This record gives sequence, C-alpha cells and structure tokens, in this order.
Amino acid sequence: MAIVNVIEAKGLTRRFGSFTAVDHVDLVVPAGSIYGFLGPNGSGKSTFIRMLCGVLQPSDGHATVNGFDVATETEAIKRSIGYMSQSFSLYRDLSPAENLDFFGGIYGLKGKELKERIHSVVELVGLQKYMDQPSGTLSGGWKQRLALAAALIHEPPLVFLDEPTAGIDPVARRSLWDLLFDLAGQGKTFFVSTHYMDEAERCSGLGYIYLSKLILKGTPAELKRLPEVSPAGTRRIAVETDNPSLALRTLKALKFVHDATLVEAEVHLLMDTDTPDSEVTKALLGAGLPSHGLRPIEPSLEDVFVTVTRSLDKT
Amino acid sequence: MNGFWSVVRKEFMHLRRDRTTLIIAFVLPIIQMIIFGYAINFDVRHIQTAVADLDNSRESRQYLAELHAGEYIDYVANVSSPDIVAQMLKNGSARVGITIPKGFARTMLHGENPQVGVMIDGSDAQVSVRARFAFVSPPSKLPPGVADARINVLFNPDSKTANFMIPGLIAVILQIVTVALTAFSIVREKEMGTLEQLMVTPVGRLALMIGKLVPYAVLAMVELVCVLVLSNLLFGVISRGHLLTLSVMSIPFVVASLALGLLISTVAQTQGQALQFTQLTLLPSILLSGYVSPRETMPGWLYLISTFLPATHYMQITRGIIVRGAGFTDLIPQFLALIAIATVLIVASTTRFKKSIA
Repeated sequence: MAIVNVIEAKGLTRRFGSFTAVDHVDLVVPAGSIYGFLGPNGSGKSTFIRMLCGVLQPSDGHATVNGFDVATETEAIKRSIGYMSQSFSLYRDLSPAENLDFFGGIYGLKGKELKERIHSVVELVGLQKYMDQPSGTLSGGWKQRLALAAALIHEPPLVFLDEPTAGIDPVARRSLWDLLFDLAGQGKTFFVSTHYMDEAERCSGLGYIYLSKLILKGTPAELKRLPEVSPAGTRRIAVETDNPSLALRTLKALKFVHDATLVEAEVHLLMDTDTPDSEVTKALLGAGLPSHGLRPIEPSLEDVFVTVTRSLDKT
Repeated sequence: MNGFWSVVRKEFMHLRRDRTTLIIAFVLPIIQMIIFGYAINFDVRHIQTAVADLDNSRESRQYLAELHAGEYIDYVANVSSPDIVAQMLKNGSARVGITIPKGFARTMLHGENPQVGVMIDGSDAQVSVRARFAFVSPPSKLPPGVADARINVLFNPDSKTANFMIPGLIAVILQIVTVALTAFSIVREKEMGTLEQLMVTPVGRLALMIGKLVPYAVLAMVELVCVLVLSNLLFGVISRGHLLTLSVMSIPFVVASLALGLLISTVAQTQGQALQFTQLTLLPSILLSGYVSPRETMPGWLYLISTFLPATHYMQITRGIIVRGAGFTDLIPQFLALIAIATVLIVASTTRFKKSIA
C-alpha cells in the first residue's frame, strides 16, 4: 500500500494552558519529498513535530502520519517513523555499533536481519571507521550521521529531522544534505526543521510557522513570487560598493528605500519602482562612495521570510 | 514487553562502562559495614562505678568484688558518702553509684536481705540497661535470698550486638545501594536527552522498566554475597540457616528496592532531586524497619507505615535465617509481602512513566 501523502494535518492545534503553541495548522507532505519547516525559535516548530511523532497529544484538529492518527495510533506511528533531534540523543557511553544494535532491537530487528540492517545504514552514512569508539567522542558531523543511521535502522518511510545541522561544520552539513537527497530519490520522505536559508532553498516544499500559525507554504520558487513579498510599486536591486556597511546606513535613510540588507559584500534594496537607479548612485556619491554596479534581483528566501514577518509585526 | 532484551543488554553495557557506579556499588557497602558494624555496638561492659562502702566489712568487700567479676562494673572511686557518689554521677565521672549502708554485714549474718543503694545514670539508655544486668544476675553466693533468676537467652546467648545488628545491616546496605542504582537511571536519560529518542520508538513501558531493573538485580545479588562474606570475616557472623534460602528470599527484596528507585526516577526531574528522594527513603528504612529498635515500640501509625517498607520484611528474613536458622516455610508471610510490595512499585513506576510529554 503506497501512501500518497505521508503527513496530512487539518486544523492541528496544541494549547498549553492559555497559550496556543500551534494554532490550526493545515499541512500536506507528499511521499518522496524533502519538506523544510521554518520559523523563529519558540514559534511552535518543535511542538508541531512532537505532535506528528505521537509524543504530544493535539488539543484540537487532527492529523495522520503514514496513514495513522496522531491522537489514537501513536505506537503505530512510532514504529513507522525515524526521528533525529537537534541535540545528540543517542547513548554517548556506547559505541555506534552498540547504539545501532540497541535501537534496531527496539524496533524488533534481530539476528541476521539486524546485522544486515546495521551494515547497510553504516555503509550509507560512511561510519565504518568509527564503529567501536564511544559515540560521545565523535565529532558533531559524525554524531549526526550516527543519529541518522539510527533513525533509518528500521527502514521508516518518513524521517523527522529537528534542526539536524545546528552546530556542525559546513562540509559535514553539505554531505548530510547530499545523503538526504539520495534517500529522497529512493522514495523516503524527510521532514526537516532548519534555520538555514541555503537548506530551505534545497527543499521541495516549505512551510513557515510564525507565532504559532503556519503563514507560508509552497515551493521555494512559489514563495519568492508571492505578491506580499514584492509589494506593488516596489522592486529589488543589488548595489556593489567599497564600503558596504556605510552604504547600508546611507541607503536605509532614504525615503524611497523600504528595506536594505547586507548580503555578502552587496547591499540588497527593496525600493520604489518609480525611483530610477541614478537616485541610488547619487545618494552613495553624496556619502563619498562610488558604486561599482547596480542590478535587478529576485527576492531570496530570506527576503521572503523577513518581509512577511515584518508586515505581520506591523499589523 | 517490546524491546525488553534490548533494554537489558543496553543496561548491562552501561554498567560495564560506568566504572564509577561499579566502584561505588562495591566500596560503599564495605565502608557502611565497617562504620555501622563497629560504631553501633550495644555490648556495654566495664561501666565506670563509684562506691561508698559505709560498712567496710569483709562481707561488703566480697560483695563488691563479685559484682566486679561480672565484667559489667569497673570501680573508679571509693568515696566516703552517698552525696559524693551522686555528685560523681551528675558530673559524669561515674555511670553507676553503689552505696553499702552501715550494718550490711550484720543484717546478712541475721539471715536477712541487706539493702544496697544503686544509682544508675539513665542518660544513656544502653548503659542503663546493661548496668541493670550487673545486679539482675547477682553474685553467686551473696546476698542470699535474692531471687536467682535463671534467664535463658535463645539463639544469641551472649546477646552479642553483631549477631542481630549485622543481619539487619545487610538489609539496610542492600537497600541503600539498590535504590540509588535505579533512582538515577531514568532521570539520567532525561538529562542526557536520550529519553527524547526513546519516546519516539515503540519500546514498551514495562519492557523499559523491567529491562532497566534486571542488570541491577544481578549486581545486587553479587553484592549480597560480598556483604555476607564480609560480615563473616569482620564480625564472625555465621548463618545458621541455609544461604540458598536467604538468596532466594532476597530476590523480591532486591526487586522491590530497585523498583522504589525506578519510581523515584520517574518522579524526579534532575539527578540532584533523585539523590534527595533516595536519602528521604533511607531514614525510614533504618529507623522504622526494626533495625535499631523493635517495631512493637512504635505508635500504631508508624507501625503501619513500616509495614509498607521492603526493609521491614527483609530484616525479619535476614535475622530469621541468619540468627535463628529459620527455613523458607517459616518466612513465607514476609516473602509474600515483599513480592506484593515489588509488584505495586513496578506497576506504579510503569504507570508514572509516560512515553509522551504532558
């Protein structure tokens, strides 16, 4: 039986006393995708994931994970998902081999089958060399690979990753994502929460939760085209100058500039469509800064989230 | 019971890695046995005694000499008046005062019971009890007419402290170690974040509880053997009953104590709290279990509380088997009580432990 949508949530809500941590979230995640789940800390990301994993009961609404109800079929959900938390949550005093042996056993694997599964996940994440040292002594990147191996040991069709790359180096981060793509290609679904925009860029679907509400969803391309991200009468340009931080201060003060931010050595502007580029150049020269070039740009995902968040804060 | 054997294996692995716990688990009982075993000694002898022998006759001197031969009494002063004797008791330089009145020898020669004034310092209960012994079992010949009570103490004829304290101590030590072992086990997983991972797995709650208990139960049984060997080497305690019976009857006690630790572990939020809870269970187990003073002397409500303590029943088992040579059938009520307590504690901790948040 192939499930088309591995996650289906309708009006999913969780309250803690008078505080609503997750407020009527509707979400559908199709099988085989990498779904990115974004939002500031405290916006309700972890609460939402915990409800989907069957460890937290929803206060209202309902959801299914792999076809099982999150309110009533929690143990069936637990059998059918993998979970990897942001902090390393395997046993530090046990070796990777012992950790995998334990978690495999918990999922009912034993004997030859367990051995084969361990072999295959170890091969997959490339952990062969580190199998016998205490897991606590592994570097951050290897710890995450071990955690992923443990999450995959029972071949779950859906894996939840809660900020899997927080605090690990860029190379390890890149190779972890490459691995996720490989696995998604084989039909696995990943539900990933993250703060990294480059990671969000790679997802096939995105959801952005803010103040307990899921306020944006769609593919990265769809989100960038949203009208509220580029309001009528505005356009985005990138400006190259010598002293970007001085340029930023100068340009931010201008009336026709709605938003300005530094990206690498450039200043990205959201400005009135009616105002010509020459006004920008003039303002910079006034501050003693010759500009090396101006070009129109698309909004980045960061622009999307920042613009939408700010416009919500204003209202 | 999903994942039971995996949990058992995992806990054994933790135990093997955790040298500190292992060392504490074995060194702690040794230290406790030495401290408790030597410090708590009720074999009071050679009590400091002041005498005012107003008669100063051959008979009075012989009476005093015979009292001294009983080993309970040591003379530290021979003074001229009962007032000085009383003063010495007050300032602590003597624990017992004996006043032999004038005419002691004459009364005796008339074939009557002479009166001897004895003062005993009651501020130390053990001393006062033992001092009485010196006069209860009176000198063999003198004074005639005093009832010669032949007291026959069964099982522990010398009333040696070690013989009844050490079997009780075995229960206390075993409890201290076992409760502490499991009290940390779930809190530790909470603090390390590994519980978060366990919660999203299909591991059974009962499997987790009992799986965590089994390795420590094995450890505790090994410890029982150590403590028994130690009590023999240090205090010469030899069990009159069968050691196999003792081992079998120890199992429900060990399980009950470990389950008490598990319950603590599900209640406590941090390892610090677990430690405090553990200490909280310790005092009642020592004071209410009948280890120090007989339960019969307790008020009814305390007696009732002590019925629910595993140590209370196990104390009766260790003393029964080791001191009295009791067999399995003699101790079935205690054995069943321990099984009942263990079952209740396991059910309670399993119910308390939730595989979900809030």
